Amino acid sequence: MRARNGHPTRIIVGARPGQASLVALSSLPLSETSKQQGETGMASVAAASKRPATGGREGDQMVITPLGAGNEVGRSCVHMTFKGRTVLFDCGIHPAYSGMAALPYFDEIDPSTIDVLLVTHFHLDHAASLPYFPLLPGEGNVHRVAPTVLWHLCGSNLVCPDFPCHTAVCDTVNGANLAPDLQTTFKGKVFMTHATKAIYKLLLQDYVKVSKVSVDDMLYDEQDIIRSLDKIEVIDFHQTMEVNGIRFWCYTAGHVLGAAMFMVDIAGVRILYTGDYSREEDRHLRAAETPQFSPDICIIESTYGIQQHQPRVVREKRFTEVVHSTVAQGGRVLIPAFALGRAQELLLILDEYWSNHPELHKIPIYYASPLAKKCMAVYQTYINSMNDRIKNQYAQSNPFHFKHIESLNSIDNFHDVGPSVVMASPGGLQSGLSRQLFDKWCTDKKNSCVIPGYVVEGTLAKTIINEPREVTLANGLTAPLHMQVHYISFSAHADFPQTSTFLDELRPPNIILVHGEANEMSRLKQRLISQFDGTNTKVVSPKNCQSVEMYFSSEKMAKTIGRLAEQVPEASEPVNGLIVRKGFTYQIMAPEDLRVYTQLSTANIIQRIAVPYSGSFEVIRYRLKQIYESVESAPEECDVPALVVHERVTVRLDSESYVTLQWSSDPISDMVSDSVVAVILNISREGPKVVPVEEEAAKTKEETERVAQKVVYALMASLFGDVKVGEEGKFIISVDGIVAHLDGHSGDVECENATLRERIKTAFRRIQGAVRPIPLSAS
Amino acid sequence: MGTSVQVTPLSGAYGESPLCYLLAVDGFRFLLDCGWSDLCDPSQLEPLAKVAPTIDAVLLSHPDMMHLGALPYAMKHLGLSAPVYATEPVFRLGLLTMYDHFLSRWQVSDFDLFTLDDVDSAFQNVVRLKYSQNHLLRDKGEGIVIAPHVAGHLLGGTVWKITKDGEDVIYAVDFNHRKETHLNGTVLTSFVRPAVLITDAYNALNNQGYKRKQDQNFVDALLKVLASGGSVLLPVDTAGRVLELLLILDEYWGQRNLKYPIHFLTNVSTSTIDFVKSFLEWMNDSISKEFEQNRDNPFLLKNVSLIINKEELEKLGDAPKVVLASMASLEVGFSHDIFVEMANDTKNLVLFTEKGQFGTLARMLQVDPPPKAVKVTVSKRIPLVGDELKAYEEEQERIKKEESLKASRIKEEELKASHGLNAKASDPMTIDGSSSRKSSNAGSHFGANVDILIDGFVPPSTSVAPMFPFFENTAEWDDFGEVINPDDYMMKQEEMDYSMMHGSGDGLDGKIDEGSARLLLDSTPSKVVSNEMTVQVRCSLAYMDFEGRSDGRSVKSVIAHVAPLKLVLVHGSAEATEHLKMHCAKNSDLHVYAPQVEETIDVTSDLCAYKVQLSEKLMSNIISKKLGEHEIAWLDAEVGKEDEKLILLPPSSPPPPHKSVLVGDLKLADFKQFLENKGWQVEFAGGALRCGEYITVRKIGDSIQKGGAGSQQLVIEGPLCEDYYKIRELLYSQFYLL
Repeated sequence: MRARNGHPTRIIVGARPGQASLVALSSLPLSETSKQQGETGMASVAAASKRPATGGREGDQMVITPLGAGNEVGRSCVHMTFKGRTVLFDCGIHPAYSGMAALPYFDEIDPSTIDVLLVTHFHLDHAASLPYFPLLPGEGNVHRVAPTVLWHLCGSNLVCPDFPCHTAVCDTVNGANLAPDLQTTFKGKVFMTHATKAIYKLLLQDYVKVSKVSVDDMLYDEQDIIRSLDKIEVIDFHQTMEVNGIRFWCYTAGHVLGAAMFMVDIAGVRILYTGDYSREEDRHLRAAETPQFSPDICIIESTYGIQQHQPRVVREKRFTEVVHSTVAQGGRVLIPAFALGRAQELLLILDEYWSNHPELHKIPIYYASPLAKKCMAVYQTYINSMNDRIKNQYAQSNPFHFKHIESLNSIDNFHDVGPSVVMASPGGLQSGLSRQLFDKWCTDKKNSCVIPGYVVEGTLAKTIINEPREVTLANGLTAPLHMQVHYISFSAHADFPQTSTFLDELRPPNIILVHGEANEMSRLKQRLISQFDGTNTKVVSPKNCQSVEMYFSSEKMAKTIGRLAEQVPEASEPVNGLIVRKGFTYQIMAPEDLRVYTQLSTANIIQRIAVPYSGSFEVIRYRLKQIYESVESAPEECDVPALVVHERVTVRLDSESYVTLQWSSDPISDMVSDSVVAVILNISREGPKVVPVEEEAAKTKEETERVAQKVVYALMASLFGDVKVGEEGKFIISVDGIVAHLDGHSGDVECENATLRERIKTAFRRIQGAVRPIPLSAS
Repeated sequence: MGTSVQVTPLSGAYGESPLCYLLAVDGFRFLLDCGWSDLCDPSQLEPLAKVAPTIDAVLLSHPDMMHLGALPYAMKHLGLSAPVYATEPVFRLGLLTMYDHFLSRWQVSDFDLFTLDDVDSAFQNVVRLKYSQNHLLRDKGEGIVIAPHVAGHLLGGTVWKITKDGEDVIYAVDFNHRKETHLNGTVLTSFVRPAVLITDAYNALNNQGYKRKQDQNFVDALLKVLASGGSVLLPVDTAGRVLELLLILDEYWGQRNLKYPIHFLTNVSTSTIDFVKSFLEWMNDSISKEFEQNRDNPFLLKNVSLIINKEELEKLGDAPKVVLASMASLEVGFSHDIFVEMANDTKNLVLFTEKGQFGTLARMLQVDPPPKAVKVTVSKRIPLVGDELKAYEEEQERIKKEESLKASRIKEEELKASHGLNAKASDPMTIDGSSSRKSSNAGSHFGANVDILIDGFVPPSTSVAPMFPFFENTAEWDDFGEVINPDDYMMKQEEMDYSMMHGSGDGLDGKIDEGSARLLLDSTPSKVVSNEMTVQVRCSLAYMDFEGRSDGRSVKSVIAHVAPLKLVLVHGSAEATEHLKMHCAKNSDLHVYAPQVEETIDVTSDLCAYKVQLSEKLMSNIISKKLGEHEIAWLDAEVGKEDEKLILLPPSSPPPPHKSVLVGDLKLADFKQFLENKGWQVEFAGGALRCGEYITVRKIGDSIQKGGAGSQQLVIEGPLCEDYYKIRELLYSQFYLL
């Protein structure tokens, strides 16, 4: 029994050849059978990924399965397989859960089949299961054995990731015995942008440090993160990479520094995975680009559903006004924000606002995150991933060297004596410094809390947006909430107008929604369906583990080049040559051209073998002529006698004691040469021997006749029972008292009963056909 | 037939003149590089002048004078107006190189071939690409894809791959296959069998030692001089090879904790290093890895001081020091001045790290034996005094008057016009601002950069009335009241942007170091005073190759590996070009061309090709064998036609037997290893491989050259015995039989 809310059903998408279209053929309700279906659906995924790409319809099947972020926000992970190639997009964890429960449903896939893993940006919900998933060692590292096993079990039936308390079950499992065959065999390559990789390391180290879960529940440790770094390759925006025939490149996504949208091209079918993106340029990031090619499938985030953001200027104004008025009244401003990403944007805003307002200079701004402090070097370096404004400013001075903002290492160094602005993580107020400050400040109505971004369901930040009268503090007590709470979203996710125009420009025939809370997503789906009504655009929003199947029947095209292509052939002319496939391109060429157009080369092996022989060369010639149709004397320039057999093998008498055979290797020549060797050896062993050929033949004929007679008799007896051999090859057959005479040579039958006569005749004819050689001419 | 391709060198063929080539691909005209020597002689550019207006796109490969020096001049004076493609570092560092060059020239002469504005506007329409970015050209170039790839040599250095209809033309000059302290080696070798390869013969006759040893020799030579109390001058380029030298020195100084000061002196040294710090993505893997893991940026250069004028250097006096100063040619610039000062002292060393450009002072000093004395011109820009100043001021006054007269006339007209157009008049400052700027530009000795100086209110020289400009705002009324302009009430998105941009001088696209800017913007009238003098060359001179180019041997092996169908050789002395041409021509099916300047050669490939569709039925019957990244099979098919498209179907009659093909590339050494692993006694004897007691395997014919005609010929011979068949079996196992 599977206990999860991502009901594994599948959406099957049929299509006309050439053009993929999306039709949900079956979306089965949750029932016992649907689970069955789900299993087989997944089985077909696994099978598809192993199948060679040469097959028919199966080879054209594309299966896309969200392993996380299907109708939810968090643990982004989308699995895609097509033409025997497998790509995994993102590899995140769910921030609201801990331990195994936070992972995507990795058990549904076979990691060893993944060719490429593409990580769009550094946020935990997109990158944080990376050290855990692909990098488990092949052999013998004991401390990771348990998680490996648990990982499999939690996926199959022990844990419901939506109810983290169930993880307790895992602890009782002794996985050590199961470990060896369950270990991950990920062999693929991981790609992310330079900035993402630099921050990824810092962020995950921090994550491991602050994770409050028990040690048993740790998914990985710092060593795993370091190890994972070696596996990660970097890709720059627009740079085209090719792995195993999969071509991919990335576009600016605008969400955070280094965020990318990946375009994957497998055999001409393009898939765009947006990750988190924003189409609005802000202070340091460029807006997401519009790819110059329309993808066949667009896997797009739907975080904000059909909501619409306020213009950035309005939001910034509200933000600075709230901050200004609060500190002017002597209050404190708490900005709970995730340490990286939007935080840097807010710091840029505050730093500039302070520069323009000298009266505020005495009021300190802190960012209380050692992590953000560490990452500042990354922001100061990868200027080229940012927008032109930052690049131009950089020409003067680095905008990420703030003038009015200080970093704060811990709450102990913080002297809370007057108005101040503090930005602290985590953004959800779950724990840590932001929670400590919140607990301290929430009762004073002079203070403000500005929530600057998307907040995940189930966190305190989400709760206080609705401004409850009371809140529960970290120590369990309740306190009145007097602090002003402002929700000003700077979250760099696309809103509905952005999503809508983006899709309108791209016009992908298939849209798959991920990364959105179920209600938002279904509203967005409805709006998009009505927006693209009348076109053949299909919109689906699969749940976790629900596969979307599509068919792209692509025509395989080949290019005939070189001497084979000197003339374009007419219909029904033959084309014979080598077909060479590299990636998804085919070339047809003559073998002689192989080394001209590819890195491959052909070889020719000449064999020369010396066979001891000391007789007359004429004997060899005579014996060979008896066996082979074509035995010619070698062209004159030879100074020694030589023969050419079937234009393949040259036999030369090189000295008194041996002959040499020379030929160029191929299966037939090898065979001919072997028999020539045998003939020569026979001559030297037996010497010449004259055989009375005719006599032997006659004798053989008689013999055959006798054997045939015997066989006919035996078969007749087995058919009719009582059979006697008469004279001159006649048979006397008696069946139920009726006697028949069969002439063994002519096949004539004498019998009163017509039925029996016919039966014997038929039987005899068939036996004859089987026993005797087929006559040369059909008579 | 294939794509038509023609190559015409405009400079830099059979000689070491700057690189500049014209490449036409199906009529689309690329200018490959646009170089100029440090001498800046416009006569060098005559061939370019003839074709410049017809160019459709410019591709730049390296950020130094030899590859992009003539770009501003060509844009300004020769009518070159095509879009320019380059990588981000080539763009940035190229810009800085040009700034540096201009400033060096301007300090010692009334340099007027191009101005900083020309540099800015030339670089303004550079399209910046990333490595391996496939950029599709539009309009006339429809169907052409260009992609920059790593070349090594300089930061951002590019090997250009131009693809049309699946045929590649590769332009690879000054590549370096070796990984360096800050750069990755070129990826040129990953391109196989392009239709055309255009490469240089510059280094065909040079061979280098090992890099590590070379680095050691380099620092040893420096330390020897420093220890004996001398100073070292390294004439370097602005933002190219100098980066490698800086890293080597900084690292060594750090390791040994050396105290001798290192100075990097160019007009733009600080901004160069600032930008380089943000180009980590373009450097080698270990640098980016180091940053990702520890956030260590090697270009923080703890042991190097970056200076932008000579005064700072002079403060140090005669203490032993290492100075890296631009330009490498010693023609002008800081290196020239420092050389003049240092040449007289035997303790000092001038160490050249690259071969001097032809006809420059550096080249003169690099001959063996070096000259005892050289004639140099020492020039200096000094402020005008006395009568000269007076004359200058009068002249300026006159110009100003003329300008103001003209401007006021224009203004009157504008005023008339603006009275007609009320909407325009509502914003009077616009007009004032622009006209004042215009006139002050014209009046200034030095172009538009003056507007950086304009700080606050500047009374417009063209003011019609000696009072604050006032324009009556005649409001129009209609039935609803005063007509309003909706724009006045719009929330201004730009407002914030403007405030951020404010104060960042928008006159210069890039950043010129403050000191240089001061020097440059110093508007006091000045003149250049020069005097010729003879400098005794007493200091020691040395040359070490830090050019970061593949040496002759490697160039040959790279070409052999890439195995283009056609090879075009450019940029190298006549001797080197001929040498490489002869070497490559040995290979029978490689066509080698070495065109002269302005000689057009046609390298259109004679490749025949047509496209067919592969039917599903046919493909399901084909079992292919995997060979590395290729899959290969024998194909017997029959052509069918389906609405004008060719489609391959399974043959209707049994196909004739074909001669079997052995596919594979056997190296005897590998085979030896293989047999040894199988427990055979194997040894090389007389070029053949002796296996066991009697069997020999050898290669015949010249099949060592890749791309050679025909296939590899192997001979296996021996007496009839069991071993023979066993060895043959093993030999067969090295090939695929089709």
